[in-house]
Order: sequence, then C-alpha cells, then structure tokens
Amino acid sequence: MTQPVLLFALPLLAAFLLPVVWRISAAAGRLFGPLVLGVNVAIGLLAWDGVANQTRVIALGGFAPPFGIAFYIDRLALLFAVAVSLGILLLWPAGRDGEGASREATLTLVLAAAGTGLALSGDLFNIYVFYELTAIASYGLAAARGTGAGYAATMRFVVIGSFGAALMLIGIALVYQAAGTLNLAQLAEVAPGTLDGTLGLAAFVFILVGAGVKAELFPVNTWVPEVYGAASRRVAGLLAGIISKLALLIILRLLVLVFQHAEALQVMLLLGMLGLITGELAAWRARDLTRMLAYSSIGQLGVMFIAFSIPGEAGVYAGLAVALHHMVVKPALFLLAGRWGGAVERLAGAAQASPLAAALFILLALSLIGIPPLPGFWAKFLVVSSALAQPGAAYVFAAAAILIAAVVEVSYLFRVVARLYRRLPAATLPPPPGRPDLAVGSLLGAVLIATVLWLAPLGDGLQGIAAEAADRDGYIEAMNPASGLLP
Amino acid sequence: MTPPDLGIILYTAAFALAGIGILGIVISTHLVRIVLSIVLLETGANLLLMLSGFRFDAVAPVIVDGNLPASMVDPVPQALVLTAIVIGVAVQAFMMTLVLRLRRVYGTLDIRELRELLERDLAHEAGIRLPSSEDAPVPSDGSPAVAREGGA
Repeated sequence: MTQPVLLFALPLLAAFLLPVVWRISAAAGRLFGPLVLGVNVAIGLLAWDGVANQTRVIALGGFAPPFGIAFYIDRLALLFAVAVSLGILLLWPAGRDGEGASREATLTLVLAAAGTGLALSGDLFNIYVFYELTAIASYGLAAARGTGAGYAATMRFVVIGSFGAALMLIGIALVYQAAGTLNLAQLAEVAPGTLDGTLGLAAFVFILVGAGVKAELFPVNTWVPEVYGAASRRVAGLLAGIISKLALLIILRLLVLVFQHAEALQVMLLLGMLGLITGELAAWRARDLTRMLAYSSIGQLGVMFIAFSIPGEAGVYAGLAVALHHMVVKPALFLLAGRWGGAVERLAGAAQASPLAAALFILLALSLIGIPPLPGFWAKFLVVSSALAQPGAAYVFAAAAILIAAVVEVSYLFRVVARLYRRLPAATLPPPPGRPDLAVGSLLGAVLIATVLWLAPLGDGLQGIAAEAADRDGYIEAMNPASGLLP
Repeated sequence: MTPPDLGIILYTAAFALAGIGILGIVISTHLVRIVLSIVLLETGANLLLMLSGFRFDAVAPVIVDGNLPASMVDPVPQALVLTAIVIGVAVQAFMMTLVLRLRRVYGTLDIRELRELLERDLAHEAGIRLPSSEDAPVPSDGSPAVAREGGA
C-alpha cells in the first residue's frame, strides 16, 4: 500500500492535474496542492518503519540496476523526502488570486516532485535531471512576483544556474568516460580503480560547483541575496531552507560513495570556510532584514560544507545536524520577515505590535547563533568538536572560523532584536506578521523546543541514520548492481 | 585522416566550445550575448557527453534481422544527451522570455545598468537610501520600475 515511489509520482501527477482542477473549481484547486503534499507526508511516515528495518531499492519500470534507473530509499533519503514535502506544505504560497496563483501552485508541486526525486535517486544522470527540474521550478517561483527586480534577480539566477548545470554535465561526462556507468552503487564499486586520479578529482570539482549553485557554495552564490530579496519571503524560505539541503545531499552521497580523495575534502573545506566568512561578514553589513537572512544562510551552508568535509561518520552526523537545524530555523525566520521585511530601522517597535513574533525571533536567533540548550548549539558543537578531532591545521582554522562567525552572528542578530524592543508611540508601529506566517513560525519554534526536550533519542536516531549513510559497502550491497547483469 | 585524430579533434572542440562559453559568460555585458554563451557552453558539455561513449569503429546499436552487430556504439550517452538538449532548450526559452520582460520593464539589456537598477529597486522596496556622496547626480527617476511596466 505504501509504495514509496508515490512520494515522487504523486506530486508530479498532481502538478499537471492542478490547472485542470483549478479551471473546474478555484476553491478545489486551492486545496488540491496542500492535500497532495499532506498525503505525501503521510506516505513517507507510513513507509518509515519498513525502511528503517531494511533499505529499499526500487527499479523503475522493472529494469534492474545497473541498466534501469533505481530509487535508493534508506532512512536518510526518506527523511529528506518527507522533509521536502512537509517544508513545502508549510511554506505553501498563499494569498494571491487569479491565474498567477494556479501557476505558482503548479510550480510548487513540480518543485516538490523534483525535490523528492532528487532525494531518492540512486543514479547520477537521474540526479542531474531532477536537479534541473528543481532549478526550473525555482526559477519560475523566483520570478513569480512579476516585478522588474524579480526578473533581473531571476535572470542572474538562471545564468549562474545554467552555468552550474553545464559544469555538472561535463563532470558527469568525465565520470562516464572513466567508469562507464552512472549507477551510484556500481560507481562505488569501480571508483577505486578508475576515478581516484586527477580525472576523478576534476569530475568532482565540476559536479561540486554545479550542485553548489543551489547549495549556495562560495563562488557561485552571488544570486542568493538578490533572489531572496526580490522573491516572496516564502519562496526565499523554501530555497534557503529546503532546496539548498537537497544539493548538499547529492554532494554527500557522491563523497561517500564515489570520490574518496583527500583533496576533494580539502576543496570543500576551503570553499566552505570562504562561504562562512564572506556570508557572515556580508550579513553583518546588511541593512535590511531579508538580505541579512540571505547572507546568514550562505554562512550556515558554509558550516555544512565544513562539516561534510570531515571524513567518516562523524562528519556526516555533524553535517546532518546542522542541515536539519537550519531547515527548521531559516524558513521560520523568513516567514517572520514576510511582513517586517525591509530596512532594520523600520522594525523599531515591532515587539509592541506583536510580542509573540518578537519572542519567536529571539528564540530562532539564539538557536541560529548556537546558545545552549537550543539545538543550534548541539549542531555547532558537533561540527566544532569533530573538526578539532581531525589532524591538520586546516580543520583547526575551520573550527575557529565557526566560533568567530558565531560572535558576528550575535552582533547582527541582536542589532535586530534591539530594534524590535525599542519603544515607540502606538501610531507608528510596524505591521505584525500575518497570522498564517506567525502560526507556521510558531509551529517551527515549537519543533525547536521539542528538540531540546528529546535531544538524546533524536540525536541517537540521527547518528544511526548518519552511520547508514556513511556505509559505502551497505549501499553497494543494498543496490546490488551485479544482480541485474546477465550471467 | 585516421579515426584517432578525429577523436582528438572532437575532444578539443568540446573543451574549446565550453571554454568559449565560460569566457563569454564572464566578459559579456549584453544579456543576449550571455545567453548565447550559455548555449555554446551547453553544446560543449553535450559533445563531451556524446564522445564519452562513442566508438569510431562501431555501428548503431540496432539489432537487424536478429543479428547482434559485432561492435556497437554505447547508446546510454546518446539517450543522456537527448535529455540534456531538451532541458537546455527549455531553459534557453525561459531565459529569452526573461530577457524580453527585462527589456520591457527597464529598457536596457546591459548587465551593469541592470545591476544598478536592481539594487535601486530592492533598496527602494526595503526603504533604504543607497549610499551616495553629496556630489552624486540627482537620480532623474526615483520611482521603482514596476510602475512603468504597464506602459511598455
């Protein structure tokens, strides 16, 4: 009954049905998208127990790997698939009327389908296709507001995105040239003999830069502040919170399975540190809240790159902790910024207008900075401690950069908090965040507090997931590409 | 010309196309040129992918009258290239739509001017005055470009 393939197929089908449903009844169309995503989340949760016992491999169309295209569903993939569906459900674009609303809903469903496909895919070329599908859906969403600034920002996004996609394609061509397969498990089997030289490293760097466009990697992240500033805050939360993590997931899988170079890790460590430093400094200088959050998300993604550059299970565990934490915090912050968005000076007195929103902002900011006992502290602590456990000065520098960046984060986030609590006459208060935004934001805040209470079991569960994800032989065994070959 | 030479020529061509494309993206200031550079870059990448499974001494992988050809070209990269071309065309069409819209809204396709206009609009929306010196020329039109969209 709970066929995990539906996680991908259902939103895709729904995306193409949506315009028809909308034409018949706009009210039904409005409910259709959230309903489908809700079903998706339910399917994912129902499949959880089965997948936790045994990793599932689904050969699409009945062609066994390595000839057919396979979905590889372990707990990590399922976790991301559910997180994508749930995140998009919470950030569902609301409020607009007319034809624009149905188009935006369609694109959002395509984004959900492509995102879950990306999380589940076990084949490098399929990953490329889903990555491009995600990209095209997000280009459309970024331009959906129809303002000149939106078009200009999206144009830059598309140019950098296409550049990255072409580099990724070159990387895939190099991999196929050397290894003759694109199935991840078979690649993992043949990689030690074929991809451990300079060619493999070059292929990795090409794919890293390509996927890095979405993951806000250092040199290819210049679109981030402009798109987040010009698009609606919900889209910004979606791209920063959810979609960027999917690109990270691809890089993680490739690092664990295929590219086992020490140099590959060093490249990631360096780019992650540069992203962290530049992002946090730019956020410190930013004068409006949306851009501040955009730059801070570049910095946080830098921390994730640093974490994944730590070899072994510890790095995967720490990186996943930071990624999941950011997935909860950043969309909530963007939702709060929805009505507040704009110059930080304009926020004076916002705490008077909405005490709940201001308190929520403080909670999220504290967790983002990493103040104990909030989960942000736990995630950053994992990264710093496992970085310091590594030999070599580079990891010490990285740990120092994370700690210094936390100080910078305190400085700029509390500049905002100080504004929020400035007293003003009641007539000049800024508008409070919209009610649906505040509700979702409170829900995400509640998730943070719940994480504090159940940190030990959640941490153990995540560690198990990380161990499974870092297990190269387990992946090969589960996918078992040799079984598809003729005797 | 012997077949291996052809291979070298084609590989060189693939990387040269990609290189020209990247160079074009970096140094062009006109949006249409940037779009064309992306087309070149994608062509280079597609050619490289195509070459990764090509054999000069083989035939198309088609079974004729039940006979399997002795050596066949690997069909997988060709299927992949087909997909990549389709994706590329879709993205290029989208880019040209954006170029048209930008031209209508801002009346320019020079990326330096567009960047300034974008900064101005974002700052206007956020309610920030852009840093400028006392000697800076007074902007002739401080209104955001959205207002002019309808008249174009």
